Amino acid sequence: MKKKFLSMLLCATMVATMATGCGSDAGDNDGGASDKKTDNASSETVKLTLWGAEDDQNFLKDVVSKFEAKYSDQKFDIQIGVESESSAKDTVLKDIEAAADVYSFASDQLADLVRAGALTNIDEVGEALSKSGKTLDDVKAEHAEGAIDAASVDGKMYAFPTSQGNSYILFYDSSVISEEDAGNWDTLLAAADKSGKKVGMTLNSGWYNASFFYGAGFTTGLNADGTTTMDWNGTSPSGYKGTDVVKSMLQITSDSAFKAIPDGKISDNIKSGDYCAVISGTWDAGVAQETWGDGYAAIKLPTFTVGDDKVQMHPAYGYKLEAVNAYSKNAGWATLLAEFISNEESQAAHFKSGVQIPTNKKALEDPSINENAAVTAILSEAEFGVVQEVGGKYWDPAKTFGEMIAKGTLKAKDDKKIQEALDNLVSGVTAPLS
Amino acid sequence: MENQTKGAAAMVGGFFRALGSFFSGFGTAVAKGDIFVKLSLLWWGAGYVRRKQYVKAVIMTALEAAVILFTIFFAMDYVPKFGSLGTVRAEKVFNPQTMKSEFNDYDHSFMILLFSLFSFVVWFAAIIVLMKNTMNVYKLQLMDESGEHINTFKEDLVTYIGEKFHITLLTLPVLGVVVFTLVPILLLIFVAFTNYDQQHMPPSELFTWVGFTNFITLFGGGGLTATFGYSFVRVLGWTLVWALFATFTTYIGGILLSIMLNSPKTRLPKCWRTLFVVTIAVPQFVSLLLVRNFFADSGIVNTICKEIGLTGFLHDIGLVSTNNLIPFLSAPGWAHVMIILINIWIGVPYQMLIATGVLMNIPSDQLESAKVDGAKPFQIFVKITMPYMLFVTGPALVTDFVKNINNFNVIYLLTQDVYTTTNQALANSQATEVDLLVTWLFRLTQDYYNYKMASAIGIIVFIICAVFTLIAFNFMIKGDKEGTYQ
Repeated sequence: MKKKFLSMLLCATMVATMATGCGSDAGDNDGGASDKKTDNASSETVKLTLWGAEDDQNFLKDVVSKFEAKYSDQKFDIQIGVESESSAKDTVLKDIEAAADVYSFASDQLADLVRAGALTNIDEVGEALSKSGKTLDDVKAEHAEGAIDAASVDGKMYAFPTSQGNSYILFYDSSVISEEDAGNWDTLLAAADKSGKKVGMTLNSGWYNASFFYGAGFTTGLNADGTTTMDWNGTSPSGYKGTDVVKSMLQITSDSAFKAIPDGKISDNIKSGDYCAVISGTWDAGVAQETWGDGYAAIKLPTFTVGDDKVQMHPAYGYKLEAVNAYSKNAGWATLLAEFISNEESQAAHFKSGVQIPTNKKALEDPSINENAAVTAILSEAEFGVVQEVGGKYWDPAKTFGEMIAKGTLKAKDDKKIQEALDNLVSGVTAPLS
Repeated sequence: MENQTKGAAAMVGGFFRALGSFFSGFGTAVAKGDIFVKLSLLWWGAGYVRRKQYVKAVIMTALEAAVILFTIFFAMDYVPKFGSLGTVRAEKVFNPQTMKSEFNDYDHSFMILLFSLFSFVVWFAAIIVLMKNTMNVYKLQLMDESGEHINTFKEDLVTYIGEKFHITLLTLPVLGVVVFTLVPILLLIFVAFTNYDQQHMPPSELFTWVGFTNFITLFGGGGLTATFGYSFVRVLGWTLVWALFATFTTYIGGILLSIMLNSPKTRLPKCWRTLFVVTIAVPQFVSLLLVRNFFADSGIVNTICKEIGLTGFLHDIGLVSTNNLIPFLSAPGWAHVMIILINIWIGVPYQMLIATGVLMNIPSDQLESAKVDGAKPFQIFVKITMPYMLFVTGPALVTDFVKNINNFNVIYLLTQDVYTTTNQALANSQATEVDLLVTWLFRLTQDYYNYKMASAIGIIVFIICAVFTLIAFNFMIKGDKEGTYQ
């Protein structure tokens, strides 16, 4: 027994020594933190990290070198890292203080990032922009309508918009379907049926299936505490009943020419050649073009029939935004860099390198933008597209609801079941975050 | 069972006796030690100076200084805030002159929790060192008084590669266990008693202690969501069913396979064995993702089944609701069975390897005498082979079961992005029919930053596993069984 304690003694000794090692390290860090508050030298090198998507690395390198050239009297050390816009939130929220100073993210992450205090309120650091010769109001005026709203929460601007059109449109084979037929689900399905081909859409995703409800005037929203609001189980301000929207959806899904495509499988399905029309985003434009060749065409989403009315589907319409980390050690320069990435010149370059649709009004005037059918179709949705405001509890219930419609678990005749399913959906989505 | 209980009681008793003798030893040392021993309580090196062990005196003094410095310059920044986990929220003002944001001296709840915990561990170790040190010094005093030889520092060092070699060997592993296992587990347990979630995410927000609220929410007050209790029961049920089937199907399958391969009638046994082991060589996630694609709704298996008319047949007898695909991994029931079947394919080779080793070690005299007595192969299997296998691999079976309760890989890789539930009550709790507790836990934390509930569920999973392991071990490895096979 005594020997056991001896070993414990030795171990404890080691632990203690190690602990003191760590302790002094942490102490140093603290010292550093207090130093930085008094440091006031503008001649020091400004260190910044910048995260962007893998495909954008070359674009960002060019932008950074132009940025450094513009402010040549200041020394910079700007590191560029890879972080996809779609997963930026997850990485940043793991450790906000360790995240990049400037990073790109999709607008649906804005609310969560703001609530976690991860983003710098641009209004507070707006003065920093004076170095670029602009005021914040100038910057806001440069962007197309809706872009600044998409980057704001409660009227406060939290990021710079860099691109728009993260949305979906109808791709179709014009050798089978006329442009007129593509305007409405009924004519679209009839035309597809005649050709023996299918029309595909993803229903088991709250990003796609919400377009029917948004079209009928229903809304989702976010409360200050992060919970989601949803009115789909009632009657919309436009006077449509939620159950009637579901019935219209069921009418579409029960058509033999319709096929529900599981989330994430759209590209594979287009390639299969079974389809003559598919709802998807610009990322599938290439695949659609390859499959349908000269027949390839793109147009805004079709209308669908509720009762006697033809209702336009309103897609979720997203933006890409450039964030300034709230805990950036060089908030001013980070703001300047983020603004620089979102300015006219950078957006025009980004459209050329990665077909990212500009939000800058002048960059949008470029004639090459109108040559791209998918981009034109997306931009035609900008006026009615919905910036989808939902919290984390939205996705699973909405996905299941879409799956129920796709699989025919709900029946168009069973009003009671449909109402019940809508009530369940709303209670799941609007549940408190606990 | 009685033996086992006695054994356990003896173990617990032994532990407390050791603890008691440790404290009484310390008490004796303090009471009967001379002034230098008593002084050692304040200055750890005092006793060694008196006995002329100067190197040890310097080491202990340095160690004491290190602990004191650690306490003043590190621990004191965090431990005093441990009770509240911080009160000062981050605030900042942008200074256009410096182009920097100026922060107040804000509290970071997570750092306070982590470093306080670390300080506690260090202090606990320091107290043990202090007590042990006093006892050592007292021992030196006794040796000095009775005129025994007192080791020089060099002689002490030599003992660490001689009679105390085990200490040299064990120091690093024990240290590793403390830093990499004990501290994180304690942290996890502590988080379960806080409100650390999306609403309270450091550094911008603070979190604080909430007592047993999370556990009450989990089992009582409605749960995380309106349907949490409903989902918890279903997920737990499937977890246990899965663990049971996954463990026993692969276990039995492995034994049967290895018996087949061991049979003298099997040709090229080594070739077969190699073929089965090759499935282990392919990383599990690769094979699982491939299998997932094979059995997808538009996968190759579905295409074949449709071609040969199997889909139509299953539709006719009412097992499949549509006549163009079999929902292998996308409908409840089908998915449950498929997951277990796929797991057999993945798990059997491992069990086969283990079983082969054990089978080769069955005392051949037992088998031969059974044959002489006229036992049939089946009887031999039931009466000799299986009991022997169960005895040798019993503990492994229990660990397998616990591993399967937490078998994240198979479930997650086979169902993520493929399986969509149509059960709204489950969906409202972010669960699906095929979720295990651990995959559900992963989703709850990864997608929703709900660390407090994840910790609470983690503790529950731990308790389930611990209870099961204790019962199973007690039941399977009864003391009297050992004699049977000796």
